[in-house]
Amino acid sequence: MGQAVTISIGIDVGGTFTDVVAVDSDGAVTTAKAATTPADQSEGVIAGLRLLGERLGLELGALLAATERIVHGTTVATNALLEGKGARVGLLTTEGHRDVIEMREGLKPERYDLRMAPPPPLVPRARRLPVRERLRADGSVETPLDPTSLAAAVDALAEQNVDAVAVCFLHAWCNPAHERAAAAAVQARLQGAFVTASSDVLPQIKEFERFSTTVANAAVGPVVAGYLRRLQDRLLQAGFGGPLFIMLSHGGVASVDEAVRLAAGTALSGPAGGVAAAVALARQGTSQDLITFDMGGTSTDIALVQAGQPVLTGGRGVGEARIALPSLDIVTLGAGGGSIAHVSRAGLLQVGPQSAGADPGPACYGAGGRSATVTDANLILGYLDPASFLGGRRRLDTMAAEAALTALGRPLGLDAVATAAGIHRLVNARMVDGLRVATVRRGVDPRRFALLSFGGAAGLHIASVAAALRVARVLVPLQAAVLSAWGMLNTDLRVEMMRSLAQGGAIDPQALRIVCDVMEQEGRDRLRWFQGDIQVRRSADMRYGEQVSEIAVPFDDLDMGAPGFAAALAEAFHRRHEALFTYALRDRAPVLVNARVSVAGVLPALATRAAPLERPGAVLHRRVHLESWQSVPVHPFAGLVPEQVVTGPAIVESDTTTVLFRPGDRGRFDARGWLELEVAGAAMA
Amino acid sequence: MTDPVTVAVLQNRLSAIAEEMGEAMLRTTYSQILNSSRDFSIGLVDSHGRLVAQADHIPVHVGALPWAVLALMEVFPTQSPGDVFLLNDPYHGGSHLPDLTAFVPSFAEGRLAFWSVVRAHQSDIGGATMGGYNPGATEIWQEGLRVPPIRLTEGGMIRDDLVAMLAANVRHPQDFRGDLAAMIGAARLGERRLAQTLAEFGAKVLQESVEAILDAAEQHARAIVVTWMDGAYEGEAVLDDDGHGIENVTIRARVTVSGSDVTVDLTQSDPQVQGFVNSSYANMQSAVAMAFAFLLDPDCARNAGAFRPLHVVAREGTVVWAREGAPVTMCTSHCSNEIVEAIVVALSGACPDRAMGGWGRRFRVAFEGRDGRTGRRFIWHMFHARPGGGASSAGDGWPTAGEWHSVGGLKFGSVEVAEARFPLFFEQHEFRLGSGGAGRHCGGDGGEMWLRIETDGPATANTAGDGVRHGARGMLGGQDGAPHCYVLHRPDGVVRELRTKEVGIAVPSGSRLHVLSGGGGGWGRP
Repeated sequence: MGQAVTISIGIDVGGTFTDVVAVDSDGAVTTAKAATTPADQSEGVIAGLRLLGERLGLELGALLAATERIVHGTTVATNALLEGKGARVGLLTTEGHRDVIEMREGLKPERYDLRMAPPPPLVPRARRLPVRERLRADGSVETPLDPTSLAAAVDALAEQNVDAVAVCFLHAWCNPAHERAAAAAVQARLQGAFVTASSDVLPQIKEFERFSTTVANAAVGPVVAGYLRRLQDRLLQAGFGGPLFIMLSHGGVASVDEAVRLAAGTALSGPAGGVAAAVALARQGTSQDLITFDMGGTSTDIALVQAGQPVLTGGRGVGEARIALPSLDIVTLGAGGGSIAHVSRAGLLQVGPQSAGADPGPACYGAGGRSATVTDANLILGYLDPASFLGGRRRLDTMAAEAALTALGRPLGLDAVATAAGIHRLVNARMVDGLRVATVRRGVDPRRFALLSFGGAAGLHIASVAAALRVARVLVPLQAAVLSAWGMLNTDLRVEMMRSLAQGGAIDPQALRIVCDVMEQEGRDRLRWFQGDIQVRRSADMRYGEQVSEIAVPFDDLDMGAPGFAAALAEAFHRRHEALFTYALRDRAPVLVNARVSVAGVLPALATRAAPLERPGAVLHRRVHLESWQSVPVHPFAGLVPEQVVTGPAIVESDTTTVLFRPGDRGRFDARGWLELEVAGAAMA
Repeated sequence: MTDPVTVAVLQNRLSAIAEEMGEAMLRTTYSQILNSSRDFSIGLVDSHGRLVAQADHIPVHVGALPWAVLALMEVFPTQSPGDVFLLNDPYHGGSHLPDLTAFVPSFAEGRLAFWSVVRAHQSDIGGATMGGYNPGATEIWQEGLRVPPIRLTEGGMIRDDLVAMLAANVRHPQDFRGDLAAMIGAARLGERRLAQTLAEFGAKVLQESVEAILDAAEQHARAIVVTWMDGAYEGEAVLDDDGHGIENVTIRARVTVSGSDVTVDLTQSDPQVQGFVNSSYANMQSAVAMAFAFLLDPDCARNAGAFRPLHVVAREGTVVWAREGAPVTMCTSHCSNEIVEAIVVALSGACPDRAMGGWGRRFRVAFEGRDGRTGRRFIWHMFHARPGGGASSAGDGWPTAGEWHSVGGLKFGSVEVAEARFPLFFEQHEFRLGSGGAGRHCGGDGGEMWLRIETDGPATANTAGDGVRHGARGMLGGQDGAPHCYVLHRPDGVVRELRTKEVGIAVPSGSRLHVLSGGGGGWGRP
């Protein structure tokens, strides 16, 4: 490596493997993979970095000395919530309103399952302590904060040995004074405890969302803080002097301090990398509108990028926790490569939601699994090569897959191949229906989008799914791990903020500007240490009268000072509503509920370099089932050269991905090492 | 014969269409009762009036939709593309007046193929009292605007004159119009998706698949029922009163299980009463179907096929099937909940592990008054302090999750939002500890609330509900949940318990309402 070369490193810790990717200032990419160490993920990270150094011919110290920044996606917060291993949390809350988080607004999932016990709340009632204080809806004080009652509550929490305390008072979103005073009292009494207040975590109206998010933040705060501090120490000892950035659920990155303060905001840190990659692609001009399609073993994650920006949502569930921080709107469909096919009690073929997981895995893994899965079907149809799955690391057992499929198909009168074809078709249809509902729910028409396909199982289904949705363009990266880490390295520092406008009402440009300016200042303050460019984006959440769902209307292209601003913003809303729901009510004045400001610190873009030119790889042939059996060419992914075109029927395969081209599908390999697929049949009316 | 994979694909597709329609409703409706409390339902019904797919919203609506379609087709035997129909009349396919239903037909090769149906509870439907519930009514004409099946369109265009006529008869015409636009939008969205599905698969494949989907659900339901012990079982549930002096109104279910068939005979139920707890015919059918669906498996499709093993016998003139003209507005909660409870009690002998403790009863209060901060008049429907859910063989009941007719599907709004939008102050809103019935598994707790009324000048309140005498039923030795108790504390020191069926209660500003809502029933001996 030359003198001036610096390195950026992306680290993506998954359930099984820790992927480490280095991109140098020339755009050269080097990857390494280490086993994830669940007890302390930082061990696996260091092991991965050491391996990466070996590949580059560098000692760990030298590697880190040449490293300009590290971006990290972590599943620590998610795992803590899913496995119930969060901190022991205490809650201080307004007297008389102790049960907000457990009442769940009166809702219970699964309407027709009346034999289902409620899950335990994140904080049991005994650790939810009332404090005498009360604000009114306008933020004025009805009952002053009572020091005696506060002291008694904090004493009780001390006795219960809590590691974290959430402070959640009614109406604190518009007046944080009581929460701040209570948090200070906790901090003074319980030194070392992680203390978090609802007015700091999510300053917006609606107590259930705000309290639940704050409680989740308290549950994961100590865990995330402990992990990130350990990692920081290890990296420092190993010679790293640059910044460590953490991937957040909203798709931007933040400093370690900020990631600890809003620890619940790292819940989607892992899957955010793929979406960040889609945003980076949009920025590079590939397509402004993308849907990510990440099909793994048990489920498929879908997210939207619109006009180059990721779509954010105001709330999602992680295990029993509800986190209402702005986060990437990732929809999970319960079907993946390991999904088990079965005949329901109604006698219909079904796929999922049960999954064979990694152990025992699909029948063809030969590890004791007896159930036919999507992967078994793909094997029997010839789409997967039994000898080269996962680069030949796992040989697939065709006999076992066939036996499982034969047994499954018997009551339906189908042989193994017909059953496999049925499973393949059914899982595709489920993806299509799921994608359509998910996109409509978000108010978009999928046809004008491009699909970004990654995850081990995606390539075999993506062309059919795209054709059914009439999506003409699909992008497939060579290696998903690289994609995620590459995405992390191409995102920005971001602070996402939102404020409710007191009552919500007619558009008031003056009030809107003040609120936006305050948020912008807060965002700039949080990024004060950052030297680079700052970009600010503004939008408004709007609705008609008494509707409860708002539509986000960006208004960066409107001049807030212009006399016609309110009318222009209203018209932008009418147009969005009409596009989404078939009608607009132009005789009604829309209501402006929330203002949103996103402040981004722009990190330098990474260079990209043409994939190394290799000789075209040897093309083999394989018999696959597409309506009927036929022999199709199989191209090794690594053997494709830039601008090479592959026409279906064909298969392109690498160690981690296999892509099925149906007749008429056409793929072009581009200079970055991506496959761009034109889908046959997508353009028909 | 269509292949089984296509059948499965289409079953998913039809459910996805219903789900998509529901999403559109949630996002576009105006009224708090629809967009926050989700009091609406979606169904896809075929040209024979058979429910083919539905979205899980309010269970008590869904078994009723096919009856609405049948009543509609009786009046309009022919339809054209672009048509939109409406009805709410309980004596012509409706459940009760507030539930307005919109229908849009889909055609295949020029012939009627499907109906996409949207039923939504209106925040007001005219009549003598605001908000649709009139406990004083002794005839349906005092309950609100009656809409027998009507065609709302002419040549595919909405008739503005008809919409104006409807809007002129309700108290919040702006909200009504907004909600109606959303309902029609959602039904048309369904029609659009059905048309795409028909184009993709063809009418013949779709029709054959519908038959297979219904047959499959029937097979699933029968496979469950056949495991129930054969026999004749009896159960009853008791309403407090009808609000006009008739007390302990009793629903009696005699349920016969024979092989994979279940017959529910309600003929021994009490005669119809003067007040609005009578049920319409469609609502009675729906309540029986709801009880049956609760006792099947959650993954059993809820369509016409699943209900084929179920047979209903009832007699006109009883409280479960009132003669035309009787008031029925309360029936989607009461006596629906008692019909469900009587059936579950009866079948607890046949399938004890499936029978669950009773869910709470509804006791609603609506306040009307003036907000001094804005100078505007308002109506507020109380959904807070929900009653508890019933316990089951699987564990304790859900606290504050509601009643049989909603089972955790109605959301109460944010206290902060309620205080910001209405002159109300929630001094307390918490669990009412110990209100769930004891048992091997305990019923879910109800709520306790102290609500201060801060109107500019006096407010008035109406109540509508039941369950201050009879709590949610304990099952198989579990104890009943505590009944409701609502007490009004006036600033002049006068304290009085509210009855469940009152109109025009004077509520001076500064009054405090103390709500203790009922708990769910326990399951098994404590």
